Amino acid sequence: MKKQNDAATRRSPKNALSQPAKVTIRKMPTGARGLDDILGGGIPEFSINIIAGTLGCGKTTLAHQIVFANATEKKPALYFTVLGEPAMKMLRYQQQYSFFDESKLGKAIRFISLADVVLEQDLNAVFDEITKQVTAANPGIVVVDSFRAVGRKAIGGAGGLEMQSFIQRLAQFLTSWEATTFLVGEYVQEEIRDNPLFTIADGLFWLLQLVERNSVVRKLQIIKLRGQDSVPGLHTIRISDGGLQAFSRTLGFAGKKVNPTGRRRLSVGIPELDKMMGGGIHEGDSLLLAGPSGTGKSAIATQFIAEGLRNGEPGIMAIFEERPEGYTDRADSFGLNLKTPQQKGKLEILYLRPLDLSVDETMQEILNAIERVGAKRLVIDSLVGFEMALAPGFREDFRESLYRMIVALTGAGVTILSTVEVEDTFTALSFSHYTISFLTDDIIRLRYVEIDGQLRKVIVVIKMRGGNHSKDIREYVITEKGVVVIHPRQTDYIRLTTGLPERIGQREEAAPEPKATK
Amino acid sequence: MRRANPKMRDFARRLIAYETRGNKSSETKKPAVFHVFEKLRPQLATLMGSTGFHALLSRALALANAEVPWLPAVHVKADGSLEGLNDREAQVDPEEIAEGRVILLAQLLGLLAAFIGENLTLRLVCEVWPKLSFNALDFGKGDKNEKAK
Repeated sequence: MKKQNDAATRRSPKNALSQPAKVTIRKMPTGARGLDDILGGGIPEFSINIIAGTLGCGKTTLAHQIVFANATEKKPALYFTVLGEPAMKMLRYQQQYSFFDESKLGKAIRFISLADVVLEQDLNAVFDEITKQVTAANPGIVVVDSFRAVGRKAIGGAGGLEMQSFIQRLAQFLTSWEATTFLVGEYVQEEIRDNPLFTIADGLFWLLQLVERNSVVRKLQIIKLRGQDSVPGLHTIRISDGGLQAFSRTLGFAGKKVNPTGRRRLSVGIPELDKMMGGGIHEGDSLLLAGPSGTGKSAIATQFIAEGLRNGEPGIMAIFEERPEGYTDRADSFGLNLKTPQQKGKLEILYLRPLDLSVDETMQEILNAIERVGAKRLVIDSLVGFEMALAPGFREDFRESLYRMIVALTGAGVTILSTVEVEDTFTALSFSHYTISFLTDDIIRLRYVEIDGQLRKVIVVIKMRGGNHSKDIREYVITEKGVVVIHPRQTDYIRLTTGLPERIGQREEAAPEPKATK
Repeated sequence: MRRANPKMRDFARRLIAYETRGNKSSETKKPAVFHVFEKLRPQLATLMGSTGFHALLSRALALANAEVPWLPAVHVKADGSLEGLNDREAQVDPEEIAEGRVILLAQLLGLLAAFIGENLTLRLVCEVWPKLSFNALDFGKGDKNEKAK
């Protein structure tokens, strides 16, 4: 019993307070957009990191970004170049990036060539040269690019044991000098098991290029990062004028709180359709509008956005097929003004058509736009166009990424209307080419039907999650006011869903749109 | 593309003049142009390695040879230093020597500028002569950019 009491005393809060605090590891920003989130906040200070990968993946660019983001005159960066890319060329090309701040060169960032020492002397001399420079400069960051070239020296010289000893000494020295270190090199993943470098490293950033048909996609994997909760998996990276940008495969939603909203109904801008849906679309729902070409999907999407704007709900239209002018012109023809909200920053029309987009960066574009305008409504027109705009290598990931985005956005209260083109067959009523219902709370189907010598259009609400809805198949027309669901007709038909209905009632009404008379 | 253009020559001329003035009390008997190179050498060799510097200076020398009759006697040693002028110096007109030095230096700086841009080239030069301030945008600015040594 006494023993138990002693244990309880040891665990008491009072005693806990007197315990020394845990070490706080500060995190350095990488300077690469999106990467800090993937790393779990940044790069741990005083860590030894390897930036590895094959040719042309962006290793040196990433190293430069980190250096330029952190180096100061008080805590400079030493960038040791070895037999890889000569410093002259490095400076020539890297200065093209916007992060390259030439005022930092010399005092905050110093390039030092180790080529002569590596070529003419042994690893001890390389170690001595690095320690000499580090001792003199007291840097916050040390980069060795390419460290692989140093490794080759060992292989050509005394061999693996010498290299292991060199790495061990170097790691201990640089950590003791409170330097955060980046060893850059061309490695292949098969080397991870046998190369002691990868065991010693605290962080291992793997960059790779994946080829899929005619497209090449760069990816990044954080294979390890000691002491931090990095996001696992392959993340897309893109190198542009701003340097390397990373797109988390979780789109930055990992760990974010979902914000459940009430079940407010929103109008889609077509009163009769609202009624069919049981009063409108639930706020935070994902609605899929499926139908063949020309049935008015984009028109309904335009009315949906315009109605939101009328009610003070900013919107985003991510379009992949039609040009933005087409949307604004169509809206004009319906008497809806999209141009003024665009000018006021309440609406953005994103035209995303390049054929080598990655799914993550496309979604990031949409997410950024949503954040910019504080959007409450989002249109994706269309999912087929979206998929086609992606590089072939990303099409496999499309549904998974789309699912992540839709779940996260709807959870945050954004109401989404997506369109999908489906080919009408005259035997069945399909909703899309692939299983997509898991992406959506609500499904509306548009289709052509042949009635009385005309190809007319009908609309039906297939599914409304969390609410009752009309089961009627209603006819609609596209007028100067947009899509208008016409009043319930007296004429009765069966087999409307096949597209070839059969009249079972009396012909009592005129056609909703004039028929040719001659 | 002519790298040792008048602007670059003017810059090289001012640099040599500046270094020569500052070097009056020096015991060294090396010509001023070589002294400028000797001062540049460690800085550039740190950046690009001595082999990199050797390659760059050799290229500058080859380009300058076409214009300067006495320069073919000069060559770059393995460590990046220049030699070969001492024996011929007495036979060459001092003005020609002075102009040849300017052209060689202009070629070297012109090559650097072609690779890494004028701004970075000027920064490298400023690191060797920290009291010397140059307008980063124009090699052609005159002595007004020069501070007291």
